Amino acid sequence: MYVAARGGEDAIQHAEQFYQAMLGKLTPEAIQLIQKQLPFLLDKVIGEGSLYSPELAALALAQTGGDVYEAVLLLRAYRSTQPRLAYAEPVTAGEVLTVRRISAAFKDIPGGQVLGPTLDYSHRLLRLDVLDGIREDDAPPAPQAENPAPPTYPVVADWQRSQGLLPALDADQTEPAAVPDVTTDVVLFPAPRAHRLQALARADTGGVLALGYASMRGYGLIHPTVNELRLGYAEVGLRHPVTGEVFSAGRVRVSQAEVISSGGDDGKSSFQLGFAATLGWNEVKLIAASTLDMEMNNREPHPAHEEEFVMYHTEPVESSGFCIHFKLPHYVTFASSMDSVRKVISTFYTNDTPPPQSNHENMQQVQP
Amino acid sequence: MKLADLAQQRQDYSYAFLDAHAKRELRRRILKAIAIPGYQVPYASRELPIARGWGTGGLQVTLSLVGPESVVKVIDQGADDSVNAANLRRFITTMSGAKTTIDTLQATILQSRHRIPEEIMLEGQTLVLQVPDPEPLRGVTADMSKAHQLHADADYGQMWLLLYEQLVRYRQYIQGASYPSLVNGRYIISPSPIPRWDTPKLHQAAHLTLLSAGREKRLYAVPPYTNVYPLEFNDVPFQVEDQKGWVCKTTGVQNKFMNELPQEDGTSQYELSDSGYANKLADTAQSGATYYDDQGDFYHAGYLKPPVIPPI
Repeated sequence: MYVAARGGEDAIQHAEQFYQAMLGKLTPEAIQLIQKQLPFLLDKVIGEGSLYSPELAALALAQTGGDVYEAVLLLRAYRSTQPRLAYAEPVTAGEVLTVRRISAAFKDIPGGQVLGPTLDYSHRLLRLDVLDGIREDDAPPAPQAENPAPPTYPVVADWQRSQGLLPALDADQTEPAAVPDVTTDVVLFPAPRAHRLQALARADTGGVLALGYASMRGYGLIHPTVNELRLGYAEVGLRHPVTGEVFSAGRVRVSQAEVISSGGDDGKSSFQLGFAATLGWNEVKLIAASTLDMEMNNREPHPAHEEEFVMYHTEPVESSGFCIHFKLPHYVTFASSMDSVRKVISTFYTNDTPPPQSNHENMQQVQP
Repeated sequence: MKLADLAQQRQDYSYAFLDAHAKRELRRRILKAIAIPGYQVPYASRELPIARGWGTGGLQVTLSLVGPESVVKVIDQGADDSVNAANLRRFITTMSGAKTTIDTLQATILQSRHRIPEEIMLEGQTLVLQVPDPEPLRGVTADMSKAHQLHADADYGQMWLLLYEQLVRYRQYIQGASYPSLVNGRYIISPSPIPRWDTPKLHQAAHLTLLSAGREKRLYAVPPYTNVYPLEFNDVPFQVEDQKGWVCKTTGVQNKFMNELPQEDGTSQYELSDSGYANKLADTAQSGATYYDDQGDFYHAGYLKPPVIPPI
């Protein structure tokens, strides 16, 4: 027997048509404009979607009218079915083509503080003159530097390691293809470090910020100092299948942060590092995420900074999806609760002693 | 000869959406779940083009089982025409070419949110339940790792304490849907947020039940002919929802699970929650055997017992 349940299907189709009509027509030009003009929004979606494709990210944003959670879901759902053709070589900070790199731990650092493109020291004033049609290229460009800045910079933490302030790093020899993958592995706790760092790289910016801020504000055990914050372009190094030579398949925008704090948990009087990196440029997320990374390394962190808590609750697709699922009908479960409440009321109250008005309070306070 | 002739035809998505690796993983996890009834098997859980929390766990199981010859029924709150059920059905059929039905007994795969149908499901059928929270111990420990340890030790003391406290406070169990149940004498499961009315249907069922939580990345199973008992003390039996005297306004049926529809005059009307069953009655006035008969008696005699209100 084939009977289509038409009522529901018509309703959802019409609702989507209504939405599309509201958004207007999607054109390649509009998508190129988003890609060009909103790089930081794009980077947020790229990082959380964990798929480096500015074009698809722009398409996702256009298709969802700028709803970031929906755009991230679109990218994730697309990504989840893509084959893994190759695994890139690891990206090392010292080789990233760096456009911005600062350290709050020192006045000056080897290679110098590089402000790069940033709004950090701008006045947050709305440029109302733009509305009057004054074009942006009317403003004078920054003067040309006398000497071009170098493309790469040394790593601040390497200096601290050479001073014995940080423990030496064990070079991880894991093959790129063998690195644990949070998207295809079962995730159990305590999680492998790769899972944790991948989860933070994909995490919801707002969620990471909320938990990281709680740590910074006083619920955490540590005061993070930004040891190094770096924005740049990384070469995607692939190994040629025949020659074995590494070649660059392209460049991706990447960013990373390292925060440092005294008192490593191993009992030695050294510093400890928290680390986070992501596709795209997203400074606020990385400072919060690297703080959380360090917090999670400590024994008995605040419950909101435990690894399981952080990883579960900063997942953008899962948290947003579950939150909006409460829009779905729940009348069967609600009927089941009503049945329980009614039975309690009928057990404890008669017509002579009616229950108090609020059922919820009542459930908590009834005394036999 | 052109290069395009030799190349494989472009395919935007795999059959039934999931790639072969994901399907293989899911099928292995499902087999493990069947082998250890009630044990929550962790799995990687792919992102689907449906929001997380909207049935992606059930959907992944269905997509890993479905074939072109499958007949799929999808319900939400018992209804085939619910917008969410319609959306999932549309996705499954678009991606797999499977046929659909609203007849419970015709379905080879029945994916459901919050209900088990009224008609007794048969051997060979698979019921896929969407699960928001797979962890029955969530109420006593929110931490998945700790709950995992409690399951491993079959350390369910806190669950019994919870029930005892309910009896002390309210003289009855006050759990609504998702009533915690012991599977095969070993693992406590959340049967997903089905009403208590549906929980007994899992006991010694002829069909296979797969429960899957996509967001929480856990799946578990109740294999055919497995014991499932809701948690209850010997002297205070578990109770299903009391809907005695509720008559369906459309079919005139009683003693099936009903939706209560508030009326402007302060009264209520009732209608069958299981829309496929209601349709069948309307079309042919006949149906397959049901878990509860017209008097409201459950088909496993003696499984459900009359209520006992413990003395103060």
